[in-house]
Amino acid sequence: MITDPQDSSSGFTGAASRIITVWALLGGGLLLVVVLTNTFSIVGSVFGVPVPGDFELTEIGVGVAVFSFLPYCQLVGANVSADIFTSGASRRTIAFFTMLASIVALVFAGLLIWRMYFGMLDQKNYDYTTTILQIPHWMAFVPILISLALLALAAFVTLIRDLKVLSKG
Amino acid sequence: MADALLLGLGGLAVLIVLIAIRMPIAYAMILVGGGGTMMLNGPTLVLSQLKTLAYGQFSIYDLSVVPMFVLMGAIASKTGLSQALFRGANAWLGWLRGGTAMAAIAGCAGFGAVCGSSLATASTMGKVALPELRRYNYSGALATGTLAAGGVLGILIPPSVVLIIYAIIVEANIVTMFMAAFLPGLLAVILFLLTIAIYVAIKPESGPKGGVADRHEFIAATMGMIPVLIIFGLVIGGIYLGFFNPTPAAAVGVFLVLLFGLLQRKLVWPDFVSALKETASTSGMIYLIILGAELLKIFMSRVGLPQETAAWIGGSGLEPMTVLIVLLIALILLGCLMDSLSMILLVIPFFWPVLVDINGGIYQGADGAGFGMSTEDLKIWFGVLALIVVELGLITPPVGMNVFVISSLARDTPMIETFKGVMPFFGAEIIRVVLLVSFPAITLWLPRVLSG
Amino acid sequence: AEYEFKLHHFLGEKAPAHSQMLLPWAKQVEENSGGKVAIEIYPAMTLGGRPPELISQVRDGVVDLVWTVNGYTPGLFPRSEVFELPGIHTNDPAATNKALKDLYESDLKDDYQGVEVMFLHVHAGQAIHMRDTEVHSPADLAGKKIRIPTRTGAWVIEALGAIPVGMPVPELPPALQKGVIDGAFIPWEIIPPLKIQEQTEFQIEGVDKERFGTTVFQVSMNKERWDALPEDIQKAFRDASGDEWIQKVGEIWAGADDFGIGLAVKSGNTHVTLTEEETEAFRKALAPVTDRWVEEVSSKGIDGAALVEKAKAAAASHASN
Ligand code: NA
Ligand code: NA
Repeated sequence: MITDPQDSSSGFTGAASRIITVWALLGGGLLLVVVLTNTFSIVGSVFGVPVPGDFELTEIGVGVAVFSFLPYCQLVGANVSADIFTSGASRRTIAFFTMLASIVALVFAGLLIWRMYFGMLDQKNYDYTTTILQIPHWMAFVPILISLALLALAAFVTLIRDLKVLSKG
Repeated sequence: MADALLLGLGGLAVLIVLIAIRMPIAYAMILVGGGGTMMLNGPTLVLSQLKTLAYGQFSIYDLSVVPMFVLMGAIASKTGLSQALFRGANAWLGWLRGGTAMAAIAGCAGFGAVCGSSLATASTMGKVALPELRRYNYSGALATGTLAAGGVLGILIPPSVVLIIYAIIVEANIVTMFMAAFLPGLLAVILFLLTIAIYVAIKPESGPKGGVADRHEFIAATMGMIPVLIIFGLVIGGIYLGFFNPTPAAAVGVFLVLLFGLLQRKLVWPDFVSALKETASTSGMIYLIILGAELLKIFMSRVGLPQETAAWIGGSGLEPMTVLIVLLIALILLGCLMDSLSMILLVIPFFWPVLVDINGGIYQGADGAGFGMSTEDLKIWFGVLALIVVELGLITPPVGMNVFVISSLARDTPMIETFKGVMPFFGAEIIRVVLLVSFPAITLWLPRVLSG
Repeated sequence: AEYEFKLHHFLGEKAPAHSQMLLPWAKQVEENSGGKVAIEIYPAMTLGGRPPELISQVRDGVVDLVWTVNGYTPGLFPRSEVFELPGIHTNDPAATNKALKDLYESDLKDDYQGVEVMFLHVHAGQAIHMRDTEVHSPADLAGKKIRIPTRTGAWVIEALGAIPVGMPVPELPPALQKGVIDGAFIPWEIIPPLKIQEQTEFQIEGVDKERFGTTVFQVSMNKERWDALPEDIQKAFRDASGDEWIQKVGEIWAGADDFGIGLAVKSGNTHVTLTEEETEAFRKALAPVTDRWVEEVSSKGIDGAALVEKAKAAAASHASN
């Protein structure tokens, strides 16, 4: 279930939670910018002046925004899981399983940072751009890598939380 | 080849175990898909593909409507649209026996017309309608069961996130799918209203009559529903009539609910922030599952499991209808365990090729087709059927997310009561599936008319 | 087989590109190798990712072979792009295929880092599909919204005074039908799979089937994989991809194109063939596209003007008429 990140708003985890939340809100802001671009494009095309390249701006904008949502998802436990088989399990057992999930998220975030960093270099070296506006794709990778770093941070925060529950018993 | 198939089946087994131990479904798919491919073809291949895979998946143009519709629903739930809808419906229906519950269903249908998700519809309308139902002394079972079931309308009436994902997987046109889902959605509303009428005829004490609205209240409440009509008309109507494609339409929808909220002075800053947070957690969750499903697809394609399954079922000599019905039942059973989106992403890539095969191939026309309709029509018809059965999982025990959501809003009603209250609606849904299977025209008529 | 290859591409297995081009080519390679080679074709992105990722997939060895569209990744193949400009490819895909081959070693090779090109080819050429506007001059296109195929295609549309619109191919039919766009700039071969004849009334091309640019495709292998192959296996691939083959590829695409326009005409559409004078007006309007391209690639240190002349000469030298 979704837990409120403000639960533990002290010290390191509190600061991390706030950064992650603000980052997700910035992503939400970007989504709104995409919304406005499309709205203008619709209104504009009625008068024969659509926003050029709205198609590729939407693709990149939504892509970048969604990456910024991932750390927040991890932080508040929004990634769906099936709890039917473990509904009768003890709090510790469940904390153990959640801990496994946090570790997987942490490893996956690390893996993606590593791989997508090289992905960014490829995009830059080979000069990948969008079709109409010719926006270099590597630029989108910069905020995405920050999002992934925050995903690792979020996974670390949830991992600590799980470990606390485990140690308290 | 046999070894690869075994690895694929082993992967599926591991997937089930991981899901059973509460691994988020997205990560379970990532682990099995990525790990399986590494075991099959070595790690470098997966590592190389990860350089661009996530970026590619997250920037699919057709998917961009998903976060937009999620945002639209999230904002809509903070704007007082839901109150206005319920009040309007209640003015029309409230004086009947069971009328307040009927109004809740109508409200859910109206809210479903601007919101793409079932849970959001259940919780938004739940907050509005539960207190009213309580005020008129509705039984806990009927009150909570109605709302848990009504929430499903959020996804059955377009826009619908699950339907968008289905369309992308099978390469159907999203607009056509939205058209196809409309009449079946309306049928659901009618059957749900009938269900309530029969329920209160049998147990009159569970759904007393509400008050009769006076003339002034009746007019005011009816007028209050107009904004929703306008938004739905512009967004979904605009899509149906072709004024715009889904993505710009969704953008216009977000813009309109935002405008409505600001004009009503209902949307304050904290609400707006919480709508953004809700969008972040829902969209992030959806996209991570999409990424996981892509990794799993890569693994399964490489071991050849979907191809083998299609060949095996195709060669089994089973009647097309038998295969379809078995498939629908399997989806209902799976729905007891998994959420609808994961199911669509997990199961459709496997079974859509099977149905295409049975029907006679991707370019099969109606003549001589296994299902007696062209594969294009089959795509539409099956999509709506699949949508309904995967959404049933939201109201079936033991994991019924809508029931959970409503239970958390109505703490005085035991969850078992809610499951009991939802059962008649489950029955109505089964009747609807039977009707839609027997009369494909209910689904296929509107797209045909609107597409000229 | 001793050498197994995975060939990945983005179209379905019913597409002529799959059934008439890639399958026979793969079979020929297998046959040439005396059964030592087996090529398994994965259509419709079944091995994951989006079409623009195909080139990275083959370069990184995620798959062994791909068939892809150069224009999916604008910026990556600046030299080969010369063949997409209006005025280079006119009406004979086989001739343009051969011209691509002629210039490959001397001029185009630098585009293909990390891959070994099996063969390059083009489709029959971009033509104009219109919902309800009969076009005889660039002026008829003024302010019309036209779906574009590639970035040079976008420049062509702009030069004609129309508005370029990008959108995925599957969205084309509803967008055309509802007037979200007024037309599309793609070959006839796209007509049957998308039933474009139902959404448009007019199909327009230049005199003597002249087209206004085309799209370059490649079938390429991972470079390391190629380098590690023994000579006889390399030869099996080379022999299957020679002059005779790319001539055949040209015929396949021209054939698919003829079939497409035939279907449109049969269903009552108007097939407009511009007169020589009308075509000349288009050529004139499109001259700035070449200049724009020359300037664009000069920033990458490419002598675009020289390349244009070379490509033109090569294509003309193979022209069948
Ligand atoms: Na909906
Ligand atoms: Na369930």
